[in-house]
Amino acid sequence: MFLAIRDLRRGARRFALLGSVIALVALLSTVLSGLATGLVTDGISGLRALPFDRIAFQKGADATFSRSTLRPDALRQFEKVPGVEASPLGASFVNAAPVNGGPRLDLAMFGIPADSFLVQREDARAALAGKPGLVLGEELQKQGVKVGDRYVMGGSNVELPVLGFTFAGTYGHAPIAFVRLDTWQRIQYGSDADGRFSAVVLSGGSRGIGEAADRTGTVVISKEASYAGSPGFTAETTTMTLIRSFLLVISALVIGAFFTVLTVQRTRQIGLLKAMGASNGYILRDGIGQMAILVALATAVGVAIGTGVVEILSRGSAPVELSPRSIATVSLALVAAGIAGSLVAFRRITQVEPAIALGAEA
Amino acid sequence: MTTTPNTLDRNSNPTGRSAGTAALDLRGVRVAYPDGPDLRVVLDDLDLTVERGEMVVIVGESGAGKSTLLTAAGLLRRPDAGEISVAGTATSVLSERRRTQIRRDHVAFVYQSANLLPTLTAIEQLEIVGHIRGERSAVARARAMELLDGLGLAGRKDQLPAQLSGGERQRVGIGRAFMAEPTILIADEPTASLDPDRSRAVVELLRSAADDRDIATLVVAHDEAPAAAADRVLRLEAGRLRALNGTGAGPTVKM
Ligand SMILES: Nc1ncnc2c1ncn2[C@@H]1O[C@H](COP(=O)(O)OP(=O)(O)OP(=O)(O)O)[C@@H](O)[C@H]1O
Ligand SMILES: [Mg+2]
Repeated sequence: MFLAIRDLRRGARRFALLGSVIALVALLSTVLSGLATGLVTDGISGLRALPFDRIAFQKGADATFSRSTLRPDALRQFEKVPGVEASPLGASFVNAAPVNGGPRLDLAMFGIPADSFLVQREDARAALAGKPGLVLGEELQKQGVKVGDRYVMGGSNVELPVLGFTFAGTYGHAPIAFVRLDTWQRIQYGSDADGRFSAVVLSGGSRGIGEAADRTGTVVISKEASYAGSPGFTAETTTMTLIRSFLLVISALVIGAFFTVLTVQRTRQIGLLKAMGASNGYILRDGIGQMAILVALATAVGVAIGTGVVEILSRGSAPVELSPRSIATVSLALVAAGIAGSLVAFRRITQVEPAIALGAEA
Repeated sequence: MTTTPNTLDRNSNPTGRSAGTAALDLRGVRVAYPDGPDLRVVLDDLDLTVERGEMVVIVGESGAGKSTLLTAAGLLRRPDAGEISVAGTATSVLSERRRTQIRRDHVAFVYQSANLLPTLTAIEQLEIVGHIRGERSAVARARAMELLDGLGLAGRKDQLPAQLSGGERQRVGIGRAFMAEPTILIADEPTASLDPDRSRAVVELLRSAADDRDIATLVVAHDEAPAAAADRVLRLEAGRLRALNGTGAGPTVKM
């Protein structure tokens, strides 16, 4: 890369435009990546934080809690499978109206028995075992909700106090609220709950789960597969993936077009290098190296600015979140797109005839 | 003239004169360009031998095929027929990769307008030759410095081509050719764009390539200066070479 590096340094102006475009694409990709991760977190973090491996829904429910209703006999079938811990889970969205004024809360309400393996913290277990009440996601505390505040749960006349706060989490973009399963049933079904709940969550084991699913008319899916049931989740992730793929394709095309023009402009120089005895490999290494350095530098600048933008956005209410992993993914994807895009350009290098070095002189 | 193929290592034969291996040997070379539906034969059954330390100048009308001859002799173009041997290696059967290697190890070019790489400084124009040859960068830099010094360009070593005069550019171009330590140096009208003084300086350098570096030097020229310094002057006409004068290097021209 003897030539490539000096060419970049001394011809900086020629590369500035392409560098800016790549940096902008990197910036946009980083922000979108932050938004995509943020939306995912906002959509399913409450569910993701629960310590289970699999989940059984009613057949046809399509991983959607509101379409799935199971009864205690289904739970018993799963409890019988060796090596498996099973717990019922009631899940629904509810609008909670404060008794003493203040803003209403949209909550993703999870009903679980106090002795369920889903409840891991001792204080949360104790809170659920006592008087009926709400254990809320931590972020609500930041919004000013206090222990002892009382709320009437929408669609019922059940009034509950806030018992405490647990880890921050959301489901379907609503903060989570834990209640004991029987409280959930009272809110959901009134007096004729009949032991109904939404799904059975499972931990451990694997053999015999399929048979239990067949016996109970349920469909067992992995924890990750159940995220798709969160409202808007599939649409959001598909949209984000689509936009980010488009960005990558666009940058591949822009980089490819730039290096195609550059290679055409350099035809004579390439012929000269070949006349000097440089192999195709030597000239390709030089060209690809130059592209990689340019893309890497521009990407680094764009990602750095993008990370700053995400940092600023995250102080507001926008659901953005960046992990080192997604930063690395954005960067690698851009470099890969650059290589893919410039392959066509670099193929021309191998086709340049060395004889043009002696051709019509400029 | 006998050639000994497989004599790949020119260092085993430092002068080349005593052994029967010419630096450059063209036998029955033919090059034709498509010309509409027809073929235009530019080189026709052409023979040429250039020994190490010999300077051969080729003259001829514009369009006679002088540049074409140089591209063939320098392995930049495969002839349609005939054999070209460089430092004893017959090249017609070789792969493009091998021909490129032979070019790297044995052939250097000097062009009419220097043909320098626009983003390299004078010394880097020479260093890249070492880089292509896989030379250690410190070694290449030292050799490049020494060559530039010998060309009176030490003070200009960090200038880009745009900052050099035409004569300086051409001397850098010659330094680049010397940097390759070639068996053959091929120059296409190296003095055409220079004034008489600069032109004389370039001719002297080419002459010294033959005399001091034992390089077989093949020069195409329009003007008088190179011809005056040549061991032999050949005229390209109707696809073949004809001797104009000589200094007794032997009848190597097929009539
Ligand atoms: N790549 C090519 N394709 C077709 N015809 C070519 C090509 N290169 C050269 N020719 C033709 O071959 C003939 C010889 O060209 P060449 O460049 O070798 O001449 P020359 O003797 O170097 O001329 P000049 O003194 O003007 O440089 C010319 O008629 C030219 O038009
Ligand atoms: Mg010519």
